[in-house]
Amino acid sequence: MDSAKKTNLRLDTVSAAFWFALAGAVCYGASLLGLGSAGEPGSGFILFWSGLILAVLSLVVLAESIRAAGETRHESGSISWPKVFLVLAALVLYGLLLERLGFILTSFLLLSFLLGISDEAKWPTVLTVATGAALGSFVLFDLWLQIRLPKGILEF
Amino acid sequence: MLDSLASLAFGFTVALQPQNLFYCFLGVTMGTLVGILPGLGPTVTIALLLPVTFQLNPVAAIIMLSGICYGAMYGGSTTSILLNIPGEAASVVTCLDGYQMARQGRGGPALGISAFGSFIAGTISLFGLVFLAPTLAEFGLRFGPPEYFALMVMGLTVVAYLARRSMAKALVMTVFGIILGCIGLDPMTATPRFTFGSLELADGISLPAMVMGLFGIAEVLENLGVRTKVQVFSGKIKELLPNREDWRRSAGPIGRGSLLGFFLGIVPGVGAIVPQFVSYALEKKLSAYPERFGTGEIEGVAGPEACNNAAMGGTFIPLLSLGIPSSATTAVLLGALMIYGLTPGPLLIKNSPDLFWGVIASMYIGNVLLLILNLPLIPLWISFLKIPYTYLASFIILFCLIGAYSLNNNTVDIFVAILFSLFGLLLKRFDFEPAPLVLAFVLGPMLETNLRRSLILSDGGFRIFLERPISAAFILLALAALAAPLLSKVRPGYGLSEED
Repeated sequence: MDSAKKTNLRLDTVSAAFWFALAGAVCYGASLLGLGSAGEPGSGFILFWSGLILAVLSLVVLAESIRAAGETRHESGSISWPKVFLVLAALVLYGLLLERLGFILTSFLLLSFLLGISDEAKWPTVLTVATGAALGSFVLFDLWLQIRLPKGILEF
Repeated sequence: MLDSLASLAFGFTVALQPQNLFYCFLGVTMGTLVGILPGLGPTVTIALLLPVTFQLNPVAAIIMLSGICYGAMYGGSTTSILLNIPGEAASVVTCLDGYQMARQGRGGPALGISAFGSFIAGTISLFGLVFLAPTLAEFGLRFGPPEYFALMVMGLTVVAYLARRSMAKALVMTVFGIILGCIGLDPMTATPRFTFGSLELADGISLPAMVMGLFGIAEVLENLGVRTKVQVFSGKIKELLPNREDWRRSAGPIGRGSLLGFFLGIVPGVGAIVPQFVSYALEKKLSAYPERFGTGEIEGVAGPEACNNAAMGGTFIPLLSLGIPSSATTAVLLGALMIYGLTPGPLLIKNSPDLFWGVIASMYIGNVLLLILNLPLIPLWISFLKIPYTYLASFIILFCLIGAYSLNNNTVDIFVAILFSLFGLLLKRFDFEPAPLVLAFVLGPMLETNLRRSLILSDGGFRIFLERPISAAFILLALAALAAPLLSKVRPGYGLSEED
């Protein structure tokens, strides 16, 4: 078995284990909600059965993966995980600061960061585009489309 | 039949009102643009624009959102033909012969036949919609909870059957979607389920925030660090009008593609992506020179392009007449109808005729607008592709965050979108498709309510699903879809690339 096929099998094993564990948690949570009876299903009825089906399906995914270990399949492109986590952290920060700093300032910071880490534009361009886009989207969404965006410290 | 024509005439009076006409124009223009631009499909765009439409009259809002759906079909074909990049998953097949035609200097006729074929198919599917949707809605009035439950089960299994990857993985997504759809208050007893004491979760997970995370931000995250430079077509596009020979060769494929797409689109779960492949295969089979397919044959553009447009029209039939979406895009549209306080289903025609007939008539007007606007504006559309992807990606993220925030003027939905973007990325890494999840998430609460009502009706007997002929037929079809992979290894959607 070559390394790509080994990776596929490893990924499927990890995902099957995840879905199986999740299925167990769903079944447990559903049983706490009350399953009721077939004639009078309770709040946990469909969740319990969905959990059970999910558990079976996770085993099918694993079995399928073992059976197909010799076959090639679609490969997703490589994901740049450090950049992904950097961007996700920036997005979380955006969510935390949006109402405090206001839309324009937070969006400017976010766009500067997103455009800056790409290394494709020079900083003066990055800052100009980020300023224009933050102001432009405020005008478009808040002033024109009447979506109330937080003004934060720029409120006056 | 006369009733339907009179209702359609009424629909035109609604669709031709200046406000509705404006939103129709806006919808098809945005649809074309998102069909062209990478990373922003109609599903995300509809989710993103949903908060903007809250202040609109629901008819204008649905007219605009529907315009995005079918406008994207037109836009997708432009990039398929000129750049060999399908802007939309429903235009993948057009690359095969369309791009080859462009390379041979026949990009104009390829774009022309694609636009005219789409227009003809749109017209055919409109007439199908006008006559079939009311009949189906009337038929739907006979549906009780068991029939609805069985229909939804069938729709979800068909989606899994048509999945581009493993069917078991698509079913995992479906079941997980149902579980996520159950989060919030129990629709029958108001018991909080998996809310962990959070008031925000009592209303359930926000569909638009989930879609923006899964499809919008996740796509950008996947492409981080990948330098994508689009080779923008620099040649002059001449002679957009196909010649007589082109028309002679395309008439059959357009007619067949239209009918095939329309009828496949009606089947819950099929959507607009798979029919184009069926159409291409059919045209190749019927051709006297199948070996030339893939080298720039106009039949390979005309058939699938007509087919995907007709299929998009077809998907509106189960959506409007039964309240059953066929794809992630129509699932979001169904969510929009519910947010506007409308009850999609057989009674929609009776209770909201202005919406039902107005939207149908607007689809025809939208198709005319697309035909008039699209061909002369092709250089403009292509120029949008010159925007560097880094800028585009940053704007997509910002717009998704604004869209999520504006749903409830609450940052919680931003975090929901971020969480689902990471989840969406992991799904890609582990080779799972998110579309069945979204469809099941929307159908989940309806599926549960109908299951529970059926069981209460039958006093706990599951035989109720097999004793009633309509529900038995749906259950048998669902079982056939589940059993089919055991009998044959080849499924229609298997192996298709993920561009949605």
